[in-house]
Amino acid sequence: MKKTVIALFALVALVSCQSLKEEFQPVFTVKYSNPPAYERTVPATTHTISQLVSKYIPEKPMVINEDIVISGIVSTTDQPGNFYKSFFIQDETGGIEIKVGKNSLYNDYLPGQRVSVLCRDLTLGMYGYKTGNYGGMGMAQIGFSDPSGTYETSYLESQMIIDDHIFRGDVEGLVTPQVVTAASQLPDPKTATQATHPLVGSLVTIKGLKYAGETFVLLYLDSTKDKKSGTNRVFLSDSNGLGKFGKTHGITTWAMSENKMKEHLLAGDWDDAEVASGSEYLLDEEGKHVTLGHPMLKGDGSYPGVEKAAYSVSQYFTLGGTSVQVRTSGFCKFADVEIDPAVLKGEKTISVTGVINLYQGSIQITVNSLDDFVVE
Amino acid sequence: MKKLLTVAAALLFSVLVFAQAYTGGIKGTVVSRAGRVPVSGAEMVLSQDGRQLAEITSGSEGQFLIEGLADGVYQLKVTADEFSDLTVFVTVDKGFVKDLIFVSLTPSASIQEADESNYAEFDMEDSGYSDAPTLLLGSNDVYTNIAGFGFSSIRFKNRGYNSETQDVYLAGVKMNDAITGYSPFSLWSGLNEAMRSKDTTIGLETADAGLGGFNGVTDIHAVPLSVRTGWRFSALSNSALYRMRLMASYASGENNGWSYAFNASLRVGGNDWIEGVYYRSLAYYFGVTKRLDDAGKLTLFTFATPGQRGAQNASTQEVYDLMGDNMYNSNWGYQDGKVRNSRVRHTFEPVTVLKYEYAPEDIPLTANATLLWRTGYNGYTALDWYDAMDPRPDYYRNLPSYYYMEDEDYNRVNQDKYDWTYYAWTHRGPEYNNYQHLNWDRLYNVNYNNPDGRSKYALEERHVDQNDLQFAANAKYRVSEDLVVKGGVDLRANRTENYKKMNDLLGGQYFLNIDSFAERDFAANEALLQNDLNYYLAHGTAEKIKKGGKYGYDYLAQIRVADLWGNASYKLGALTANLGAKVGVTAFWRDGLVRKGLFAGANPDGSHIYTTDINGLQVDLTNLSNGQTSYGKSEKAKFLTYAAKASVAYDLFGNSRVSANVGFFNDAPTFNNSFISPRTRNTIVGNLTTQKTLSADVNYQIASEWVSARVTGFYTKIMDQTDVMSFYDDSQQSFTNFAMTGIDQRHMGVELGVKVPLPLKGLSISGVVSLGEYIYTSTPHMVQTVDNSAEVVRDDEVTYWQQHPVYVPVSYTADGVPVFDENLDGSFKVDHYQKHYVPSTPQFASELALNYRTNSYWFFELNGQYFDRAYLDMNPLYRTTFAARGSESNPAVIDYLAGQEKFAPAFLLNASAGKSWSIQRKYYLGFSLNVNNILNNRNVKTGGYEQTRLISSVGKDRYYRFDPKYFYMQGANYMLNIYFRF
Repeated sequence: MKKTVIALFALVALVSCQSLKEEFQPVFTVKYSNPPAYERTVPATTHTISQLVSKYIPEKPMVINEDIVISGIVSTTDQPGNFYKSFFIQDETGGIEIKVGKNSLYNDYLPGQRVSVLCRDLTLGMYGYKTGNYGGMGMAQIGFSDPSGTYETSYLESQMIIDDHIFRGDVEGLVTPQVVTAASQLPDPKTATQATHPLVGSLVTIKGLKYAGETFVLLYLDSTKDKKSGTNRVFLSDSNGLGKFGKTHGITTWAMSENKMKEHLLAGDWDDAEVASGSEYLLDEEGKHVTLGHPMLKGDGSYPGVEKAAYSVSQYFTLGGTSVQVRTSGFCKFADVEIDPAVLKGEKTISVTGVINLYQGSIQITVNSLDDFVVE
Repeated sequence: MKKLLTVAAALLFSVLVFAQAYTGGIKGTVVSRAGRVPVSGAEMVLSQDGRQLAEITSGSEGQFLIEGLADGVYQLKVTADEFSDLTVFVTVDKGFVKDLIFVSLTPSASIQEADESNYAEFDMEDSGYSDAPTLLLGSNDVYTNIAGFGFSSIRFKNRGYNSETQDVYLAGVKMNDAITGYSPFSLWSGLNEAMRSKDTTIGLETADAGLGGFNGVTDIHAVPLSVRTGWRFSALSNSALYRMRLMASYASGENNGWSYAFNASLRVGGNDWIEGVYYRSLAYYFGVTKRLDDAGKLTLFTFATPGQRGAQNASTQEVYDLMGDNMYNSNWGYQDGKVRNSRVRHTFEPVTVLKYEYAPEDIPLTANATLLWRTGYNGYTALDWYDAMDPRPDYYRNLPSYYYMEDEDYNRVNQDKYDWTYYAWTHRGPEYNNYQHLNWDRLYNVNYNNPDGRSKYALEERHVDQNDLQFAANAKYRVSEDLVVKGGVDLRANRTENYKKMNDLLGGQYFLNIDSFAERDFAANEALLQNDLNYYLAHGTAEKIKKGGKYGYDYLAQIRVADLWGNASYKLGALTANLGAKVGVTAFWRDGLVRKGLFAGANPDGSHIYTTDINGLQVDLTNLSNGQTSYGKSEKAKFLTYAAKASVAYDLFGNSRVSANVGFFNDAPTFNNSFISPRTRNTIVGNLTTQKTLSADVNYQIASEWVSARVTGFYTKIMDQTDVMSFYDDSQQSFTNFAMTGIDQRHMGVELGVKVPLPLKGLSISGVVSLGEYIYTSTPHMVQTVDNSAEVVRDDEVTYWQQHPVYVPVSYTADGVPVFDENLDGSFKVDHYQKHYVPSTPQFASELALNYRTNSYWFFELNGQYFDRAYLDMNPLYRTTFAARGSESNPAVIDYLAGQEKFAPAFLLNASAGKSWSIQRKYYLGFSLNVNNILNNRNVKTGGYEQTRLISSVGKDRYYRFDPKYFYMQGANYMLNIYFRF
């Protein structure tokens, strides 16, 4: 009997070691070893950034069907939140934005790290191009096709697309910004691109910037509704809502978090701003233009008709008469930092380190962090 | 000759209780309810008013005889391998030997091996939903016996009731979780032998341990004398739970006034169907009893189930289809080539019990007093990340549908990205693992990238560590032959610490103790980001958390309960009437152990707390808290609770009985449904009130030689329930809390269980049917708050919770746009209102089984089960007028958003077989084999939930749903168990 009992228990043990599922894998439940650090390899470079961008024709985004490989050093970080879902790489000819489409990219693409991009199947397009007298060049970007037609490129987003096209190499050291001290060094925003001017898309330090006493913000009454409708848009710009603060609209920070925006709104700073875009206006029952201070939006004073949210702000500076916008995201960690009052009063100038962008014929600079602003 | 041998054998298996001249006695034959096959070796214990009088074992033909009994009511408890324990009350009258003829045991080889681990741990992520299974075990009731275990694979909830409605007692102490109310079977999972002996009641019936509610009482004895005497070893292998279980138990029986017992088990391995799920659990029980004198016994026992188990989670149907596997589990991935699950429960919750039992010989009284202490830890790991990508492989942005959907109104138009992503999900091989499973190696590499050692990804362990001290005393007194009164008192003090602990820094050196959600909104003020503001104010920086450190949140749930109950039972001829009542007080409060920056409150002396912001300006954190605080004690929530029950039963001819029960209950809400956001602040849900329940049932039972059956009709109305959910709300772009009050439900239906022996000896047929309608009957009120703010963002009714209007188009335009009929006032004509159902259990469940048991102790069973009318858990957000945007012009939007998914019906075929051997009537060897879901049906949904997110249309004029997530039943699986007993 002893043998029988042992045999039966052995049978159960044996059966327990079997599986009906072919690929069954036991869970390792003791102590896991740390995986090794990734080994980095990048494909050989075939083109400079300038050479790649030179293939771009305005308003004609192109899907690249060659084995073009560009390579550069990561010059931006999205850690403080002023870059969103993308980063710039820079070689000796210029810089270009890689529209990855993931959050917190600085964890995977370190500032100073070499990154190569295999461009086949990706799309070369431009953001911010506008024709006409008030237009100009935008920024050439590498992304994916956008069948919706909203933009010339969309984010890569899909992890397999990213893994098959973006390759990480060694960390070679942070990019040293090029110094700009005169307007003449700046690119002509009407005509320049990364193909023609090495500062476009590159990390630069612009010295001697003087505050121009003007800001620009685009608000929405409800961001879950149509953002292009004039009945949902409020431009805090030189032509709208000047109110008690004039062209600054009382905004003395680099951007506005939700709380800062709420402070301005509830203080009535923007009550004179009309809800409008172009020739489309929000009208009240009497057919009059509706401003943010209109009872139908202001209500009991809590502004129930206006969504409270974080907003990007463009603060205008000048360098020798050339306008340079410092555009900062409302979601960045220094959004609510006050600009030095002496700077706002024009008593002091600042130097700003960031990536030069072109947008509809104007020059913008986007900083990585608060440390990139230095009061001179 | 055979008759003569039987009589001779009966004499061998008889006992004389009192030597004096009592002539009364009890005799009968122990048989299987399935086919009337004799059960030999059944152990029987006779007792009266709590005093044990005799022990006897049934003979080879199942026969037994107990003589020398005085007139009176006796309790005969019968236990046998592979059968449910049975307790019968026998009245000996006028000095006659009462012939019970048959004592029928219910086969339960499988049930004895069933415990809480029969239910895979469903990981509900941060969905806000809960899924607690209910277990109905150890009953001899025909219906319960089948429905309890047989329907566990579909996670059947009897009468649609939630887990917390089932009262579970251990050694006379109510064990339902103090925080959630859930029945706590996991505390003794794997200790089947020690916990085998139990009394169960169903529905509104009362028990000796307590008055009970409306969903039955399970009273597990757990004392050493209730454990089967002798050694027992078993080995169990299965393909649906853990891989293997080894168990041993021993009970001494009573010897010189002492008795002791132990039970230990080991459960290890994963299962065949859900990868990443595994067990590595020990379980132990040890108890000792000392008889102090003729009346008193003192018992001390302790048990625990230390170990860990990996959980499965739910995914959308899109993911299951991409993987070609409805049992896909996204919780796991490869770490350095080895499978690792991110959701693992680690538990060690020892329970220690001191029980005194008093049963004097000269008074028909039994009394018990029990002191119980539960302590230890219960942690549940989860990935935590700060300022890093969501690492879950099935995160919605990682799926093909995020890039392309046929309906252009979703604005997902990128077919190429869809194709790339589809390719990554549908190809198999090591190079695709990182798209289909967690990529642990990447998480480590991200952490390696931080030169100062700060982890961006980490494994947190969410702890709910209970210290539960309970005292329960109850007494039962037979006032006369016709009147029995019982009553008791229950006292409970529970102190549960809720906190997060750093389990694994995943290659990093520390994790910063700040609130990443707050950082997005309050970056200008570092103090507001702090999870532990006091630490920040003292050190000027956030705490760097090392492995094992507490972080995130830390608060105590303090709960106090005092109940007094009583019950009287009066018998008048064939009529028995029962009346019971309970009154009590429940109080609870939150005690915050850390001060959160966003809800700083004030200093103990009332002074305000200040800090400076990024611009150097002073900020009053107390004012910013807007009257809410995270630190210290909240206000106390106090509730007067009470209940009343009444029942009548009438014994009819032919061993049949008709009975009716009614009860009303006024219960306190549970702690976890009483605070808006207990992780962040002390704020109690507004208008918090008690839950009221009115319940009634009517029963007919028969237990004759030809049929055993019960049919019950029930009606239950549950009112004023509260539910608190926390989830990410796209419309608020934030983590929000959703407190619903005034939820009413109505449960009504019939249940039938029947077992009929067939003419062929040993063959029987049995069947059960549960048919109910469990619906919501109110329009609850909801208050939505954002986790990072004291502000109420929505305060409204959940308009379409109870039901929603259905509009039927009368025609379509040339573009396919539906056209609806309108009333004179311009509103759309409603075709009908669609009810909404209580989810997560089939409202129709049935089984038909054929049982065969031979004289040589083989048994076989084949059963077919059919389930229907199960519904998906509803998300309240989809039932608000806010979400129904666009319904003014297109009323079909309401039906689309508020409609509740009904699961497809399911048919299952199961079989079991077994055999036991008695060797020299000293050793017993047996095995049982269950094969479930023989047809390998892998499309049976057993649960799930709706995601609480919305997709805005291209024109921003309406919302679409996110796909719901489902759990599926496993395919064909087996359970093989062998045991050896002596």
